[in-house]
Amino acid sequence: MGKVNRRTTLKLMGLGAAFLAVGGRGLAQQAPTADQLVRGKDRRLLVLSQRPIVLETPYELLAANAERTPKEILYIRNNVDLPGYNTVEGANLEGWKVQVGGLVDKPFTFEAKELLSLPQQEVTMVLQCSGNGRTLYQPRPSGNPWKRGGVGNVTFRGVRLRDLLAAKGAKLLDKAFHITAHASRQGNAPEFVRSVPIHALENALLALSMNGEPLPAVHGGPVRLVFPGYFGVNHVKWVEKIEFTEGENTTTEQMPRYRVPAIPNTQLPFLPQEPGKTYPYSFQNSRPNWLVTLNSFIFAPLEGQTVRGPYVRVEGVAFNDGIAPIVSVELSTNGGRSWHRAELERTEKTFGWVRWRGTVYLRPGEHEVMARAWDAAGRSQPLDGNVAWNERGYEYSGVMRVRFTVS
Amino acid sequence: MKRFLAPMGLLALGLAGYLALGQYTLPEGPGKDLVLAKCQACHDIGFVARERLSRERWDAILTEMVSRGLQITPEERAAILDYLALYLGLQPPPAPPPVQAQAKTGAQVYASCAGCHGPQGEGNPPTFPPLKGHVEKLLRVEGGRNYLLLAVLYGVQGPIKVEGQEYSGIMPGFTWLSDEELALVLNHLLTWGAPQGVRPYTPAEVKAAREKPLGPEEVLKARQGLKLP
Repeated sequence: MGKVNRRTTLKLMGLGAAFLAVGGRGLAQQAPTADQLVRGKDRRLLVLSQRPIVLETPYELLAANAERTPKEILYIRNNVDLPGYNTVEGANLEGWKVQVGGLVDKPFTFEAKELLSLPQQEVTMVLQCSGNGRTLYQPRPSGNPWKRGGVGNVTFRGVRLRDLLAAKGAKLLDKAFHITAHASRQGNAPEFVRSVPIHALENALLALSMNGEPLPAVHGGPVRLVFPGYFGVNHVKWVEKIEFTEGENTTTEQMPRYRVPAIPNTQLPFLPQEPGKTYPYSFQNSRPNWLVTLNSFIFAPLEGQTVRGPYVRVEGVAFNDGIAPIVSVELSTNGGRSWHRAELERTEKTFGWVRWRGTVYLRPGEHEVMARAWDAAGRSQPLDGNVAWNERGYEYSGVMRVRFTVS
Repeated sequence: MKRFLAPMGLLALGLAGYLALGQYTLPEGPGKDLVLAKCQACHDIGFVARERLSRERWDAILTEMVSRGLQITPEERAAILDYLALYLGLQPPPAPPPVQAQAKTGAQVYASCAGCHGPQGEGNPPTFPPLKGHVEKLLRVEGGRNYLLLAVLYGVQGPIKVEGQEYSGIMPGFTWLSDEELALVLNHLLTWGAPQGVRPYTPAEVKAAREKPLGPEEVLKARQGLKLP
């Protein structure tokens, strides 16, 4: 387009500003930004849905905050929009009651503020939507078009559910095999119920704060029941009722939503569904999105970047369900023909993500780097993530590839 | 001057692109109104419009939505599935049907409202308030006539009380309807009972109301300013 000199640029900028000033309201009407939808969110978040609210963290913002994900940029996947809760400010604890019942010898109701007087525990964990990475499946599954930004690393603080039970002197009955949590239905909100196996009680936390601040209302404040090591959907926001049940709940969020096909009584790592087809989900032939699948992300270099060579530092994070430690992350620059190990920040068991970094030697030109994590249980990531194709696009964990240029 | 035209053109193109992409709409075709009526009560329409799925997977999604509480008759379901599979399917959608020469009627435009407010405006408590009877009361108070127009155009969000019953659902705005269509549907509401001497709505009025866009919360404020009995 030839030369655009300084004067033209200034004119264009003025024109642009004029357009925004005049049309700002009109344009905003068309596509509200994240900060308009949720008070206190970074306006750069991608709006995947306005109703219910779904916001994705742009990948470079995620990568720029590799230690912990601040509340301003943390993704949102809400199935329910409680009126008045679209803000990152904390919600009022006053008057918030939670019922605990089902298969316990002494059912009880407690007030959220009672939790403040019990011993507090902290857990740093990966919060990830089970649909994260969905758009990497081919053909594209239905649902919010997540790229990789439906994930964050956050620190929750609150009271362990089992400490609360102990404080109340309540004991589980023999057949309490699942924990079923119900979200608040205030303002005619639709029902949202999830069940997780009783094994999750070990680390279950009634969270009141996140990253050292009151738990943001939009992320489930005042009280959210979190199960470290589980996918985001299981951490029921605005929890109002906790039941101990024998079976999984039978409402929509548990069946058929948030499930992947599975062959009963086998431990096959990949799912028995043909890409592009539907599947007759039942409690027998599918399992819920429970434990987080092992995964790793490359935070540097970023896709399309130009970096200085020949020594290129590659870094990122890896995580799993916290049951076994991450033992290695390998890098490949030749499409997976050979791999070499990156250095891990730590190798103990953790629900949070583990940072890693490695250096590769690359000649100037275009390159592609791949990262693959392994944990002590021998689990790793498929080179072709599509082997786990399922019609709703859950639990993507394929090896990440990043293309960049070395100068 | 020529040097200036190229960037100007680019800017205009970019702006047009932004406007075109900034708002998802469904392609024209038989069944579109029904899809809007049924899906918009819970989702913003971009949620539906951006999908490209096979017929059987659309069918599976409808099954899922029914399990979540969507109420549709078998005929409606078939019509919705046909529309989704044809216009939001894996194949490129067919060319839109030629624009009908005959004018729409208010009752036809009302199809967009019937999904929530009922075919005869009877409402569906506790989520969707009735229109029949209530519209008449709105029109009797000062500013009520204008509020009704704003509510249909920009939507309403927040708790309201209608005929003693609390409602806190979300009414979407219908800005994509033309000025004529909006005037028609508003006048259709008047046929269910309007106080003496109420002027029918005109497309020009709708056009004027578009000059100052409002958010659904601001429309709620307008409602709170009314002296409703």
